[in-house]
Amino acid sequence: MLENISNLVAAFLTLSIFSFLWKDNPFYRFAEHLLVGVSMGYAIPLVYKNVFIPFLYTPIFLQRQYALIFPAILGTFFIFRFNRKLAWLSRYPIVFSMGIIGMGVPLSMHASVLVQMRSAMLPIMDINSFIIFIGTITILLYFFFSKSHEGVYGKFTKIGIWYMMIGFGASFGYTVMARLSLLIGRIQFLVHDFLKLI
Amino acid sequence: MNFFEKLQALDRRWIYLLVALAITIPLVVVFDSKTYTTTPTENIYQLIDSYAGRDDRAIMIDFLHDASTMSELFPMEVAILRHAFQRKVKVFTICFLETAAPLVDYAINTVKEEFPDIQSGVDYINIGYKPGALYLPIVLGMGDDISEAVKTDAEGRQLANLPMMEKIKNYNEMNLVIETSGSGFGASWFVYARPRFGVNVAAGITAVMAADAYPYIQTGQLVGILAGLKGAAEYEKLVDLFAIHDKPFSREIARTTHVSITDDTVPYKFKAARIGMNAQTVVHILIILFIVIGNIGYFIERRRNKELN
Amino acid sequence: MKRQIPLALVIILCFLFVGHTFIPHKISDNFYQWWLSWVRTMTSFAVVLGVMSLFTVHWGKISRRMPNWQYSIVTLGALVFTSASGFIWGTQQGTPYMWLFKNVQMPMSSTMFSLLAFYIASAAYKAFRARSPEATVLLVSAIIVMIAQVPIGMAISKWIPEISNWILNVPNLAAKRGVALGVGLGGTAVSLKIMLGIERTYLGSGD
Repeated sequence: MLENISNLVAAFLTLSIFSFLWKDNPFYRFAEHLLVGVSMGYAIPLVYKNVFIPFLYTPIFLQRQYALIFPAILGTFFIFRFNRKLAWLSRYPIVFSMGIIGMGVPLSMHASVLVQMRSAMLPIMDINSFIIFIGTITILLYFFFSKSHEGVYGKFTKIGIWYMMIGFGASFGYTVMARLSLLIGRIQFLVHDFLKLI
Repeated sequence: MNFFEKLQALDRRWIYLLVALAITIPLVVVFDSKTYTTTPTENIYQLIDSYAGRDDRAIMIDFLHDASTMSELFPMEVAILRHAFQRKVKVFTICFLETAAPLVDYAINTVKEEFPDIQSGVDYINIGYKPGALYLPIVLGMGDDISEAVKTDAEGRQLANLPMMEKIKNYNEMNLVIETSGSGFGASWFVYARPRFGVNVAAGITAVMAADAYPYIQTGQLVGILAGLKGAAEYEKLVDLFAIHDKPFSREIARTTHVSITDDTVPYKFKAARIGMNAQTVVHILIILFIVIGNIGYFIERRRNKELN
Repeated sequence: MKRQIPLALVIILCFLFVGHTFIPHKISDNFYQWWLSWVRTMTSFAVVLGVMSLFTVHWGKISRRMPNWQYSIVTLGALVFTSASGFIWGTQQGTPYMWLFKNVQMPMSSTMFSLLAFYIASAAYKAFRARSPEATVLLVSAIIVMIAQVPIGMAISKWIPEISNWILNVPNLAAKRGVALGVGLGGTAVSLKIMLGIERTYLGSGD
């Protein structure tokens, strides 16, 4: 019984959002506003239970780690974001958490640049590794904007553009697939879980 | 207005209707289609399967997505969990998005219905939701001690006291992390955990990200990827073909053997991605037709404009 | 001073973290643990920011009776009711809070995204034109990848998945590697600019 009601509600809201495809209408607007409210309302108890209690209430009030009162006060400064005169105070909690960037620089340099470069420098053993090598070089040349893309240099960067077009095409094909998959999932819900046609 | 001009000016709602029909009909009238497996999927399956029956090895699934991309990622999570539960591979599940927490429960419960012997704390541990601010500290902390880094599971139990943790301490044992993500492909894991601790990283991703992940597969930073619904369908097939019969993986058999999805021996939830791929086939053909017809109209119009000028 | 002190804090913390990455010493680990406990305590309040922002926007609409203000009642009502249900009945499976998530939030959020399928189909028909040789290459590459992903690709010819795999593993890989290197270097440059106090937009406007 409860499962049927649940599916009915979910199906009604699903169809309300699909109704936007015909044109904007009160059902869609109702569903859209409901979604925003429920999503935010959902986060509050979870953050309270998983962040506020274990990291603020328990250490300060139960474990008597009074030094944490300072970051707690700093945390409340987030609220001053809405006050024009005191907005500068909200910078403190933001900058404090930004320090981690210092760790990100060497590690992401390693993972995103050095490891990729190492693979790009492997000996050319076959035609495919040659094609990859040319592609990587010409694309890097294309992104070098300090020199105008003319003459021989321009020809190289043109090759880079062709590579990128193939890459973007692959991404585009996959994107079409992804978007359609999302719709397939919703229609599967309607025909399988709700209407029980299969 | 000639035929092609009419076609060019077609109301978008007709297109929407065709798309809806192209998806709905194959979903209602299920037919058998062949799922071909690819190397990035097979690599993940093979690595997970190599941990079968061992209590000193485990995998972790990091659910990094909300319900919006669930259609693509949920079937993957179900298929991986089914593989793990069937082959007695220890599993951790974790999420750093509050909206992912119910999805983790949902995936575990969906699979557990078919595996009544599987026990929380013994065969799997759902660490549950941990705040995003703890993402990096947990990713790094697990390199030393998983129990210490996450402390409690979703039910509030101390991880260190759970039987599954007896022989599992850090990434040396929990040696594969699979991030199922709607927005990336395991970057935090291979940027922060892999260089330091050598953990294997795989990604279950929406197809949007799939093409971008290839350089990272070639470098070995990613063991493999499950790319969108197709990746999920491939994994479903591998589980049906090998894991369910407790057979060892064979690439040759995987690529040449066909598994039927029209008989009732496999529950719908374990073949949802493959049935979805039927609809994907029809609608892809439709989209390609749209592109071709749209372009024919465009070229005819362009030629006419040239002639007029 | 309202800008200089936060700026100095970022620079000092960033360099301490660089040190922490390269020096596995107890002092550096203690620093990291101290920083972590502070950040964890602070983040408790971050959600307040989101709630306040939402309340300000919608309460403003209701109090000023702006067009469609009735829908703002739905948003605020849903926000209050959902969070209250979490506090009153708990957040476990089987509670009204979880029911709301599973039957209201989950289906709506996934349906909202699935609308994109219709728009991309419409765009395929009306906008994806082979206007230039480059655009033609893009379209051909897209069509091969699309058809190779679905079972019919192999049924037509075993070469279609082979060509698609080649596209993905060779020219696409080169393209994405070139872009990744560019993005990686760019990202590192931005991080360095923040570390050195050159990039300051995160401090917001005002003095």
